Amino acid sequence: MSWVVIIWSMMAASSLTLAVIHLFVWFRLRGRYSHLLFFFLAVSVAAFGWCELLLMRSATPEVYATTLRWAHVPLCAFVLSMVGFIYFYFGAGNAPLALATCATRLLALVLNFTTGVNINFREVTGLDRFMVWGGEWVAAPVGVPNPWTVVPQLSNALLIILVVRAAVTVWRRGEAPARRRALVVGGSLVLCIGFAAGLAALTTTGVVHAPTVIMPSVFIVVVAMGYELVRDVVAAAHLSTQLRVSEGRFRAVVQSVPTAILLVSERGAITFANAQVKSIFGYAPDELIGRQIEDLVPSKARGSHETDRRNYLQLAETRSMGAGRELSGLRKDGTEVPIEVGLNPMRTEDGLLVLASVVDVSERRRIEQAAARQRNEVAHLSRVGMLGALSGSLAHELNQPLTAILSNAQAAQRFLAQTPPRLEQVAEIIDDIVKNDRRAAMVIQRLRALLKKEDAEHRPVDVNEMVQDSLRLLHSDLLSRRVEVIADYAADLPRVSADRVQLSQVMLNFVMNGCEAMEDANGSRRLLVRTRRAPSGNVEVMVGDRGPGIEPADLEGIFEPFITTKLHGVGLGLAICRTIVDSHGGKIWATNNPDGGATLHFEIPVSSKATIDVGTRDRIRS
Amino acid sequence: MSAPAIVYVVDDDEDVRKALGRLLMSAGWTVVTFESPQAFLDGFDRASCSCLVLDLAMPGIGGLDLQRMLEPEARTLPIVFLTGHGDVASSVQAMKRGAMDFLQKPVDDEILFAAVANAMTKAESLRAAEGEHRRLTEIIAALTPRERQVLEGIVTGRLNKQIAGDIGIAEKTIKYHRGNLMRKMKVRTVADLLKVAQRAGIGKTQAG
Repeated sequence: MSWVVIIWSMMAASSLTLAVIHLFVWFRLRGRYSHLLFFFLAVSVAAFGWCELLLMRSATPEVYATTLRWAHVPLCAFVLSMVGFIYFYFGAGNAPLALATCATRLLALVLNFTTGVNINFREVTGLDRFMVWGGEWVAAPVGVPNPWTVVPQLSNALLIILVVRAAVTVWRRGEAPARRRALVVGGSLVLCIGFAAGLAALTTTGVVHAPTVIMPSVFIVVVAMGYELVRDVVAAAHLSTQLRVSEGRFRAVVQSVPTAILLVSERGAITFANAQVKSIFGYAPDELIGRQIEDLVPSKARGSHETDRRNYLQLAETRSMGAGRELSGLRKDGTEVPIEVGLNPMRTEDGLLVLASVVDVSERRRIEQAAARQRNEVAHLSRVGMLGALSGSLAHELNQPLTAILSNAQAAQRFLAQTPPRLEQVAEIIDDIVKNDRRAAMVIQRLRALLKKEDAEHRPVDVNEMVQDSLRLLHSDLLSRRVEVIADYAADLPRVSADRVQLSQVMLNFVMNGCEAMEDANGSRRLLVRTRRAPSGNVEVMVGDRGPGIEPADLEGIFEPFITTKLHGVGLGLAICRTIVDSHGGKIWATNNPDGGATLHFEIPVSSKATIDVGTRDRIRS
Repeated sequence: MSAPAIVYVVDDDEDVRKALGRLLMSAGWTVVTFESPQAFLDGFDRASCSCLVLDLAMPGIGGLDLQRMLEPEARTLPIVFLTGHGDVASSVQAMKRGAMDFLQKPVDDEILFAAVANAMTKAESLRAAEGEHRRLTEIIAALTPRERQVLEGIVTGRLNKQIAGDIGIAEKTIKYHRGNLMRKMKVRTVADLLKVAQRAGIGKTQAG
């Protein structure tokens, strides 16, 4: 059998095989039109191969002419699918250029059937037989060229420009795999089309007298394109394996972390839950799949949770919730469990999923509460001790209204005993008695507030008012110590969220500390009390004295427990102030004034969170 | 007395000040109140016969400070102190400086009235003594130097002859001066003269 027949048949058959393979690929991956186009391209190449074999074996010029005419049908299909392939596969290409290429090619096909014997020849006058290697012969045409043959040549030129431009565009995108693809596919296309088109042109015009042997070059194009497409398929398969492996790893990690993890869809349905949900919520993971996430939210928070969830989806950012506030989950048995939740949005093909990691914080909360209780107890004890020291002053504060009441009442008795009774005086007196009675009651109320032993309660507190109240409580003490208070209150201070009694305790401590610092002062015993909005946005309270000041080395230490510069005193007052301010998320510090004396400062966040750090707890225990 | 008797009340606490003022008024006293020692110093009538009810603990100038500042006038202005707490040290200091009384708040009306009445009596007698003293001082200032020399001699118990010897003039002239000064001092007998001279503080050192 002739080797030419064998080679050409094999090339055609191989093209056909590749075509079928990519047809199957296209069936599985409907979106990938490049595979379908490659199918058409390879089929047309196979058909052209058969035609070329017939051309080479033509017995008469008439057979040659007719065969060549029909060979332009697969050739046209080849060019059209090539243009489409470049468009879809490279994702690049110039639309007018692509349309022009297709149009000229189709025009060539029409002219092929309407002018001459085909688009290449007006007539084929004879056939030359070329002897090739192995004693084979192939036919080469001799004839008059069809003047319309410039049309397919123009189409070929346009095709080459199209390919080059697309390849350059892809190359410029710069990614390494894309560059390789541009080089392999673009390069082979340009070389082979250029060679085939050039050879066809030369033989047709009779410049070169040779058989038209185009099939090997277009076959190379098919192989190069097929190679690239297969690489894509292989890469996709590789990716899917990697995906499976990483998904396996993800599952293993998710199952082994100590936190409960839930995946929640945009509509709030649970799509995944790990084994730890059992220990927190009491549900087996399978029980939760498909349920609404609101099933795990206590009924009182359910309504707001749905709105919160919707708002969250609009922002879709990583954040944690529950830190610093009471957040609880609903267990299967109906009980509630304190939790903290971290949220991570995940954009997937199935829409936005939210990965919620849930931690049971009941143990932590229990410890926090115990520490807070302990801290409150210490603060309370210290308050009681402080009030002992203040009892004289407090007695005086009560004495004033009592004095006024007694004198007023006795004056009233006398006015009534007079004839006629002086009733107009009595009415005024009774008003004053009522007023002073209230005043005495206020003193007792303030005292009771300081003495009461309740858990710290965070409410909005007007700091100026708190400071004024504390100074009122110390009024007599300041008088008897001959200390003059100069107050400077900032207007429009925002309220802070705090336990008023505890803040008051800090203030009392600061003032008494300042008074004691000036005990031995000969000059003016002046205490400067100031409130202001700190640069940090917090509300700051300052108490400055005219005492000897604080050794620079002790500025930090004075807030440590059992450090005291006083002769009597345990040195707990300022240490307790520090635990109080810390528990309000604030700051406490001391500075020396440039003109003598020291100033104690504390500041409280405008909207503070009751967080307890470990350091605070340790300080209380020590 | 021309000026009325006034009870001054100084207390920084408005409620207490008002109540004390009323109480004293109900007992028929004329009361003037001040909110601070400084206001009192600026506004009180030095000519009137008065006493002062003074709060001990006040900002700025305290009760004890005011007492010290009133030292020159204190001879005719008795002070009744009022205090919130029984501060022994302060009360001793106040009493040593001549305070009339030291009362604790809240004060009972009878106790306050008694103290104020006491203080007023004292004020009156102080003022009376003060008036007498001033009168005598004026009389003595009206004596001539020679008459004054003679008076000093009489007070120290020397005879006319001896005085004449001391000064170096005739005994007759001594008698003349003696008659003049007895008339100026409105006394008839030597005993009266001695009494008046003693009250006016003449010859105290020698009399011992």
